Amino acid sequence: MTTRRKHDLGRYVAILAVGLLMVFPLAYLIAGSLMTVAELAQYPPAIAPADPQWSNFTQALEVLDPRTILNSFIFVIGVIVVQLALSLPAGFALARIPFRFTVLITALFVFPILVPGTLTLIPTYVVTFVLGLVGTYPGLILPVAAGASLGVLLFRQSFANLPDGLIDAARVDGASWLQTFTRIALPLIRPAIAAYSVVTFLAAWNLYIWPAVVAPGEETQPLSVALLKLVANDYTFIPPTVAFAGAVISVIPVLIVFIVFQKWFTKGLIGTGLE
Amino acid sequence: LLFIAPMLVLFLVFVILPLFTALGLSFFSWRFLNTPTWVGLDNFEHILRDRALPRSIVVTGLFVAMGVLPTILIGFILSVLINVKLRGIALMRMLYFVPIVVSVSVNAVLWRFIYDTRRGPLGAIGRQLGLDLPSVLDTTQWALPGLVVIMIWAGLPLVIIFYLAALQRISEDLYAAASLDGAGPWRMMWSITWPNVATTTWLLLVLEIVFFSAGSLDFARATTDGGPLDATTSLGLYAFKTAFERRDVGYSSVLSLVQMVVIVAVAGLLLFVARVRRR
Repeated sequence: MTTRRKHDLGRYVAILAVGLLMVFPLAYLIAGSLMTVAELAQYPPAIAPADPQWSNFTQALEVLDPRTILNSFIFVIGVIVVQLALSLPAGFALARIPFRFTVLITALFVFPILVPGTLTLIPTYVVTFVLGLVGTYPGLILPVAAGASLGVLLFRQSFANLPDGLIDAARVDGASWLQTFTRIALPLIRPAIAAYSVVTFLAAWNLYIWPAVVAPGEETQPLSVALLKLVANDYTFIPPTVAFAGAVISVIPVLIVFIVFQKWFTKGLIGTGLE
Repeated sequence: LLFIAPMLVLFLVFVILPLFTALGLSFFSWRFLNTPTWVGLDNFEHILRDRALPRSIVVTGLFVAMGVLPTILIGFILSVLINVKLRGIALMRMLYFVPIVVSVSVNAVLWRFIYDTRRGPLGAIGRQLGLDLPSVLDTTQWALPGLVVIMIWAGLPLVIIFYLAALQRISEDLYAAASLDGAGPWRMMWSITWPNVATTTWLLLVLEIVFFSAGSLDFARATTDGGPLDATTSLGLYAFKTAFERRDVGYSSVLSLVQMVVIVAVAGLLLFVARVRRR
């Protein structure tokens, strides 16, 4: 038994060591955001800031414009709300309401999963541009929300997994499809809804290239795009510690969501039925 | 049917319509603000004379070639490592998932500093060792591998999450039988674990190819903007710049189509290999 113990301990140490290596870049970012420039550059490197420099954060906010933080929230919440509002009924219909073309429509939703985003970026921009939506919230949100293939498929699967008797019973009792959907089916798949929302929150918050082209002005620009102002400008010198602080500001919301909802998050990723 | 109509409309406008737009616009010359003019096959002819195009295809290929296999292999090994029942394992697993919260732009801010040897930690370590390291992202030969390292780190959590789910489906009996037969842990990993997660590996292979070919646009745009000297300009970024910097929508549509052909070819090849292997 002692060898077994020793074995476990070794494993423990290995897991912890590699795990720390995995979080190292992020930890470095957070520590660096509280340091002075000299501390960040010194050798041997400082592990923790001697005296937390909160002014880095106020300086970062001066460059970033708090508006962009608000924009990020509007964007993410907009995407989640629109996606749920549209893909839940669609998934329900595909799983439960018998009508023609079910298979065809389902296939249609599968197709974009196989097409990388790089390919559709420019044409999607063109469509948004022609509709006159560039630089507006709908232009930012709707095209992203439209890519809800995974949501439709995930919810279709969840609704299909509900016991048949439940739906039939409601129908026999004279409930309309709408009533069956809102009263019976929706409450039962709450876990799937939660899991999907968490995944979408993370994905949308971190989206970079689409907002970068479709939100050129600060009025609608989310944090992920504005952030690069802290490094991309060669003319004004912004200390790396301030850039780090800006990055930390943009990581904190997702980090919190991730830590709190981690279980749902992994379930949401696995549960999309990709396998 | 009313249930599905709204989603379908949005989907058709912003997902399906663009695909046809790309096809249609490739026959036009358009710079966003003027009216599109029909130019027939001119844009396609331009492909043949475009010397930047083959280069960008090679760059995309390098992203995929250098990134995909390490990500899958490291991800597999790490998920085997953390697939144990120990006290506090859930918390420690979380450390492995953390990179997933770090966005493309945060990565750009962070790694541009790490790789900058004039100011960052790499340079300081190098100087201690008496080396004068160049800044990684400023050299044509190291910028691309530098980006790939970032992407591997950012891509690992997804791989680990998928492998963990697959590992937990493998029956304990297999391992018990193998250890009776005297197989060591190393042998067990490659003879039992690895073959048993083969379906997941194929899925991840496709996902990671998509990740590295798509990511070669966002990561490169945010971190190096294709430089130095186009060393990190992938096909996606080249099409992007053609559309948004040179404002040549027609030609960028053609480039998107070229991308589509390349990706369909690669995916088709993979499916073919997967099918042949299964026989």
